[in-house]
Amino acid sequence: MKRILLVFIFLAGGGRIQAQESPYFVTYDHHLEEPGNLELEVYTTSGIPRSGQVAYVAPYMEMEYGVTGRWTSELYLEGQGTVGDSAVFTGWRFENRFRPFQREHWINPVLYLEYERTSEATRIQKEIVGGGPDVTSPNSELQVTKNHELEAKLNLSGITHDWSIAANFITEKNLSQGEGFEFGYAFGVSRSLASLASGNACRLCRENFLAGIEIYGGLGSTEDGFSVHNKAHYVAPVVSWQVSDNGSLRFSPAFALTQEGSPVLLRFGYSYEVRAFGSKLAQLFGGKR
Amino acid sequence: MRRLLLVAAMCAISFGALAGQNTSYRQDAGWRAPAEAVSRPNPLASRPEAAAGGEKLFKRNCVECHGENGSGLAKKNAADLLLPEVQAQSDGTLFWKITNGNTDRGMPSFSRLPELQRWQLVLYVRKLKPMPNPQSQDPGK
Repeated sequence: MKRILLVFIFLAGGGRIQAQESPYFVTYDHHLEEPGNLELEVYTTSGIPRSGQVAYVAPYMEMEYGVTGRWTSELYLEGQGTVGDSAVFTGWRFENRFRPFQREHWINPVLYLEYERTSEATRIQKEIVGGGPDVTSPNSELQVTKNHELEAKLNLSGITHDWSIAANFITEKNLSQGEGFEFGYAFGVSRSLASLASGNACRLCRENFLAGIEIYGGLGSTEDGFSVHNKAHYVAPVVSWQVSDNGSLRFSPAFALTQEGSPVLLRFGYSYEVRAFGSKLAQLFGGKR
Repeated sequence: MRRLLLVAAMCAISFGALAGQNTSYRQDAGWRAPAEAVSRPNPLASRPEAAAGGEKLFKRNCVECHGENGSGLAKKNAADLLLPEVQAQSDGTLFWKITNGNTDRGMPSFSRLPELQRWQLVLYVRKLKPMPNPQSQDPGK
């Protein structure tokens, strides 16, 4: 009971968010989690259906931990609920991001490696590869097939004139099925709405908002050819609002540029940062870290 | 009993934060700004009122490691920003260090903040009061 209470105290009062979080849902920039900090994030991706499709909501939870200044690990748990069908747990993902260079450059590379254990029913669309997810088949059919997948990304990003510009090149290999290598991309630009911070304590100040735009989609596979045609592609305005010292909200409506996938994706997210989580956890169990 | 435990835990956390000042901080000799960065002037130098925004940014982004008064937390190996050797660095040097960070030593990059906000942080760091540091007089340390 005491330990639970202490954990609650740490979570409730122990955090201060760092430099405002990126507003993106799909694109990664080169900023990693600070060492020892834990970020808890909850998101949903909702698909607005076109004719012949049904609406769905795909929630996911992300726990992001800064292992070192140049290595961040994340664990995802994801699910999905489809109108008139069912709600299912679709699997988990474990990702790692590594930043090879210590200093800032005009382009900063980050290497990304992820293992996924998800079913075909996954619809969070954290990235889009190949032709995009199956949004028409019933969950009972999609849940039968569970995949082991490896995903690698090269994330490049830089800052110019206060604009954050990021480009991600994605490749994914399904280890369970012979789908070859699937490819995808994501590009994003964003900036703070204010160059100068006001001296007032305020929640609605412009410096608490970041806005930008993302473009992402699939690029086919080695099996069906490397192509942008007949693949899902989205353009998505993004905005984030730092609602408290340790929490921020994100929102993004994504509009399909092709007839593949859902015509509109609505994405919401909330993230909460717990500073020095590693040290506190160690202390809680008698360590000295 | 639970309320007592809660108060005790909060006191312990507060004491821990206050007791961790980093009086033994030593600069990383390899963390040097290039010459062109050292000589950059602060574009907000003529706008001292902008330091108020810098204070807000400092509290949001920096106190976790540098402490409320900038003296640096030992457990974070964070710089004591009040030390004369820190205050003696040029505005451009401080700006470069805030921008680039020193990730292997725990200092993150704050390049995500707009450039003028980073200069606001420099303005605010200048308002922190330097303290005499007897240890820095000892060449053997």
